[in-house]
Amino acid sequence: MRRTVNVLIALAVVACTPMTVLGQSLREVIDREIEMHAGGALSLPCDDASFMRRVYLDLVGQIPVADEVRQFLADEDPAKREKLVDRLLASDDYPRRMQEFLTAMLLERRTDATVPNPEWEEYVRLSIADNRPWNELVAELLFSEPREDKQPQPPEKFFLVSGRTDMHQKTRDVARLLLGRDIMCSQCHDHPTVADYTQADYFGLFTFLQETPDKAIAEFESVFVAGKKTTGPRLPGGDAIEIPTLEQGQEEESHKFRPRLLLSAALPKADNQLFKRNSANRFWYLMMGRGLVHPLDLHHEKNPPSHPELLDALADSFAESGFDIKQLLREIALSNSYQRSSQLPDDTGENAVAPTTYLASIPKPLTPEQMAWAVMQATGNLPTLLAAPAPEKSDFTYNDYINGRIAKMPDNFADAMSLFVGVFSNAPGEPEVEFNPALGHSLFLMNEPLILDWLKPKPGNLVERLTKLDENERLAEELYLNVLTRLPTEEEQVEVNEYLQRFQNRRAEALGELAWALIASAEFRLNH
Amino acid sequence: MYEYQCNSPQHDWSRRQILGGLAGGAIGAATGLASMFEPAVAEEIRKQQRQVLFVWLDGGVSQLETWDPKPNTEFGGPFRAIPTSIPGVHFSELVPETAKRADKLAVVRAMSTQDENHSTGVPRVQRGDPKNRGVTYPFLGSALAKLRPPQNDLPPYVWIKPGRGGFIWQDAGFLGAQYGALALGEGRPPIHINRPAAITDEIDDARQQLRRSINDRYRQRRRSSDIDAYESSYDMALQLMQRRDLFDDSLLSPQDIERYGTHPLGRHLLQARRLLEAGVQFVKVNSYHWDTHGDNFNMHLALVPQIDKPFAAMIDDLDERGMLDSVLVVLMSEFGRTPKINSRIGRDHWPEAWSLVLAGCGIKRGVIAGKTTPNGAWCDSDAYDIGHLFHTIFRCLGIDPTNTEYHNNGQPLPIAHDDCGPIAEVMA
Repeated sequence: MRRTVNVLIALAVVACTPMTVLGQSLREVIDREIEMHAGGALSLPCDDASFMRRVYLDLVGQIPVADEVRQFLADEDPAKREKLVDRLLASDDYPRRMQEFLTAMLLERRTDATVPNPEWEEYVRLSIADNRPWNELVAELLFSEPREDKQPQPPEKFFLVSGRTDMHQKTRDVARLLLGRDIMCSQCHDHPTVADYTQADYFGLFTFLQETPDKAIAEFESVFVAGKKTTGPRLPGGDAIEIPTLEQGQEEESHKFRPRLLLSAALPKADNQLFKRNSANRFWYLMMGRGLVHPLDLHHEKNPPSHPELLDALADSFAESGFDIKQLLREIALSNSYQRSSQLPDDTGENAVAPTTYLASIPKPLTPEQMAWAVMQATGNLPTLLAAPAPEKSDFTYNDYINGRIAKMPDNFADAMSLFVGVFSNAPGEPEVEFNPALGHSLFLMNEPLILDWLKPKPGNLVERLTKLDENERLAEELYLNVLTRLPTEEEQVEVNEYLQRFQNRRAEALGELAWALIASAEFRLNH
Repeated sequence: MYEYQCNSPQHDWSRRQILGGLAGGAIGAATGLASMFEPAVAEEIRKQQRQVLFVWLDGGVSQLETWDPKPNTEFGGPFRAIPTSIPGVHFSELVPETAKRADKLAVVRAMSTQDENHSTGVPRVQRGDPKNRGVTYPFLGSALAKLRPPQNDLPPYVWIKPGRGGFIWQDAGFLGAQYGALALGEGRPPIHINRPAAITDEIDDARQQLRRSINDRYRQRRRSSDIDAYESSYDMALQLMQRRDLFDDSLLSPQDIERYGTHPLGRHLLQARRLLEAGVQFVKVNSYHWDTHGDNFNMHLALVPQIDKPFAAMIDDLDERGMLDSVLVVLMSEFGRTPKINSRIGRDHWPEAWSLVLAGCGIKRGVIAGKTTPNGAWCDSDAYDIGHLFHTIFRCLGIDPTNTEYHNNGQPLPIAHDDCGPIAEVMA
């Protein structure tokens, strides 16, 4: 019931009052802060095509089809960008994209079989579809009452992936992912270089993660400084929570004082600066390609935000909106700062502009999921793959496939997706934040038979449609719109034409190669 | 059941044979590329690079049945000792070929380490154990990829191992996944090194040229680092594809196959030689099932020749090619085996006193460093821990561990245990 009410409130907010800070809309605050600290010329606003590709990838994790691009480019409505943002946020693809993003961020490709992936994915997707407040989701990640059949609830997966018994890993995960502080060093001693990461904070959190009240006290000793200390459940910088000593027979009381239950009530709160800032910083990073605090998990005194007032404004208005993710992303997407070109302003040296200024849009690597969607979409094979029934229980695994134990190429979306995730994802436990192009990625794009197969003419796919176009100018347009979400330049028209002339005896193959080169380019690999 | 029979890659291997799929598949025919063995090319590589061959006998080879025999003693076992090419120095009769090349090697007989478990010993040894620093240290190959970035586009750290291949990011520890190992399962290259037959050289050149020109246009007024990084991942891939001949077994001479042997360790060492000749900075070769808790002597009788012969061939080949001055060779396990022979005629784990072999770049030739007590049980000289070995390795490669450190999120970390120093007796 409460959930329904929240949804209604959230919808009301979207409809009436955009996020504001002291009477200014959040997007105005964003632009003011970025411009104020720019220290140099700002890049031009990006063109419509760039905006479209960027906002599609960010909000729905996909690139648009050529017809959508054409329509958008032709649309003369001055409010078309805002309308597009709202259309994407309302589409079914938005919850799916957020599910992909949050899964990669929270689970970091670590696995657990207790909560099946589809159950977790559905939980996140539906939560986003209902636009449930972020703090509510985090509360559930931290504690969900087990079901009557003792089976874990889907949000329990967050802890299950760090191993059932590894309390230190769980402490690290909560600190890094939910509070933005990688305090692992503080397990053995106060952090050597970061004054605000203390061992007492570490063990305060460690204690908070225990399952039963009798474990809610931790004794610790620095490896450098002798002397044992103790702490009860405590958030970094906060006060310890008193846990009464409970006797046998006080089961009900004891139930109420389960430390992790208390953590789930105490951590995701508007008055918890660490939580609020970390949350705002991570959603800002999702849209802008770099955290105001970066690396994302190193919030501390000596690594201050590039724009402190902006981080506070984002954090506060996010909290005031009831941790409304959709609103926050919408405000960022509609800011001028989001909509800047990724090309640097003309008069600056090539690398002179620090990314911390956000003077130009920061290119982001496509995530493994975005790569999969975008390659399938660009090559026009997505409809066929989505229509192919995925086997109830697929035997396909990335490892078996690349080690040659499975000879058959993926012929449905789910298997193709797991191949892309296998190729492009980072190692389990490694955040996917920076662009780390690897040998395996490029070898895959160059030589994987599946990729080359997608570039052969098949009913309805890109190359097949291109083979039907006799006029090279139309063809180049179609090619670029489908793959790079923009029209080709004159130089590119010439290039396409020359390539087709050179290989006129094998035109269909040449078309596949032209499409391949676009897919293999940095322009495709990056969301710019 | 003996430990060597459990969880061994052998299981994996036979399952794969049953499934009928082989990693890598057929290698495309040699495409008339410039041979890697051209003297001028080899000379250039020698000038630029210091390389490492790291041979790992997983499970723990017995020092008593190899480099530090104690015949006719309480724990000596049935094998005799034979003279080596160093006057007065004897090896086990199980390593006759290596014994003939002892004058080119340095043997450390006084290794004394901490861990007697495989699960902790292997990473502890291969990560160099610089105390508990609260971070996971990189394996040696990853460490060098970071500390001595290679001057070619080849993968800096290649690991030849039985079983499956892939990219082994775990080895990189805190350095970050990109410093991990490119693992060649059964010595086979990544499956995607094979360009589908439909794409000829001409077509590949044409499509890569298109890709580069698209990147050049995209580059205009953009920061170049992302684009450079992406381009270089293609360069490395193309470089590796160009050298498919390195994996083409039909190019091997029958003599080499005979000299190295047709068993996995022999084939993998021969593959390693080809990769070193091509300029790969760090090649690790793993062999498993050396954990002889039962039937130690028959096991060693069967196993030791599989390292003796190809190892000797490797030393000859590196020497003949002038590569012993630039390639550091390390042959070791995570520990040795107990002098005491157990009730199953086996030897158990023994980190207290064991041996390893070094050769090549920066290493003195024909040296025995340290000694053990007459019954082989304990070190009877200065003992060396893994920290000493890492100091030695780094110094041989021109890296001074006293003024080189890692930085992890601003935290300075020593590259080798700061209580140790190099094993001076083996340093050239």
